[in-house]
Amino acid sequence: MVDLSDREISGEIIESCRRGDREAFRALYDTYKDRVYSIAVCFFHGDRAVASDVTQQVFLKLITSIGRFRGDAAFSTWLYRLVVNACLDVARRRTPESLLSTLADQDTPAEPSSQEEAYARAQLASSVRAAISTLPEKFRIAVLLRYFDDLSYEQMAEALNCSMGTVASRLSRGHKMLAERLKHVNSPKA
Amino acid sequence: MTMWTRHVSGKLATYVDAELTPQAAQRVESHMETCAQCRTECDRTRSGMAMMERLPIIEAPDSIWMAIEAQLRDRPTTTPAIPSWRLAVAATVIVAVAGAAAWRLAHPAATRWEVQRLAGSPAIGARPISGVGRVGIGEWISTDADSRAVVAIGEIGSVEIEPNTRLRVLATRPDEHRLALARGEIRATISAPPRLFFVDTASGTAVDLGCEYALNTDEDGSGLLRVTKGWVSFEWKGLESLVPAGASCRTRPGIGPGLPYFDDASDAMKQALGTFGYEKVAGNGLDVILAEARVRDTLTLWHLLFRIAGAERARVYDRIAALTPVPAGVSREKALELDPETMKHWREELAWTW
Repeated sequence: MVDLSDREISGEIIESCRRGDREAFRALYDTYKDRVYSIAVCFFHGDRAVASDVTQQVFLKLITSIGRFRGDAAFSTWLYRLVVNACLDVARRRTPESLLSTLADQDTPAEPSSQEEAYARAQLASSVRAAISTLPEKFRIAVLLRYFDDLSYEQMAEALNCSMGTVASRLSRGHKMLAERLKHVNSPKA
Repeated sequence: MTMWTRHVSGKLATYVDAELTPQAAQRVESHMETCAQCRTECDRTRSGMAMMERLPIIEAPDSIWMAIEAQLRDRPTTTPAIPSWRLAVAATVIVAVAGAAAWRLAHPAATRWEVQRLAGSPAIGARPISGVGRVGIGEWISTDADSRAVVAIGEIGSVEIEPNTRLRVLATRPDEHRLALARGEIRATISAPPRLFFVDTASGTAVDLGCEYALNTDEDGSGLLRVTKGWVSFEWKGLESLVPAGASCRTRPGIGPGLPYFDDASDAMKQALGTFGYEKVAGNGLDVILAEARVRDTLTLWHLLFRIAGAERARVYDRIAALTPVPAGVSREKALELDPETMKHWREELAWTW
């Protein structure tokens, strides 16, 4: 029998991570890995190798610096701050050539299905990812943070190191650009 | 009211996300009534957000964890410098690839399960599911009073999630599919070898033995398991109740699963079982159970042997023996001692009548 609360990313798990408990770190990693990786894949134009690199960096940074997490902000806010920094750092170091070489290599979802519906979903997802790739970095990361985790505007502002007004403005403009780039795609069903 | 004449394009995401105060939202709406440009931009913002909802979460490959582990092994201190992950992966992948690749080819099961909306607005975490979503380890699926959903359990079955339910995915491995039911009701349909699918509640774990069943629970752990096909083992802290099709079993916080009983048992028997195991056994309650028991109710009586002792256990043994012949290899003495082999053999014989 498992105590349900044992599986939460609680202060207890974070404290265990601080003490170097690898099991606790694994639990934390399992909770966030797919969201961090998804943000990185979308941010880096579908380049899974770079996304793997960034995800690895984020979690290694997390384990080596978790002692500095004071609990005065939500843990996820702190984690996504690391994600934002890692994405922007790696992006700065990348050459335009490496970026262009991956633009055409948009990935399909991890679990494709042979059914037509699944294929259509994969196509749509691919189009959305391609459109995200064309957004300016600051808009792109804001849009991805909003989607891949349920952060409040205040938390996003903290993760992005800007004001809530700036978050609101970037999200408005980012989503508007996205819609314009996807005009040719059928609107998703409600 | 003062008309807000400035364009509101910078506030539209906040407006759509309902993050504005009611007064600010009202001002945005008033402005848009007279500003076609902002109305168009609002529609585009909504459309962009809707497009994002179509983007699936991508499963992180195992190679990332392998690289992290390699880094941590090589660097047990807190030095944060990170050389290329590819070098670390190379060392670990060579060792792991042969076995892992073969295993994965044989077990390509997904680690994120598909969740389909059946009604209303079910959600994964805080994200509403509009059609189909994906749920991974650690994530919650929740339904409100008007919503329902169904989650595919890898390749072995499905679980329907009834209204007002909170359910969490705990494991998606081929050898362990595990959910936690915090509250509400689910209906599971599983077709797999025994002990691959588990549902934890606060006072019992339903272990699939190849079955269909409904399970509900309150947040404090009071619940009911009702099996419609096959068998379920309902377990908690060493206590086990085997529940076949057509039978049910209650569970209570701090106590665990009670005695299983057939749904067509007499009302008097079910009423006596309602408190049995949860309160001090009253002689009258045991009298009722023994008097009302039919042959198939040996399901209840066999389980009862484990929950009482002394003269009362002997009364139960005698009642089972009166209802159906004791098979060869089962002695009264061994049965009253709860000898594991004897009890298992007896259960297997009795199960023909359950």
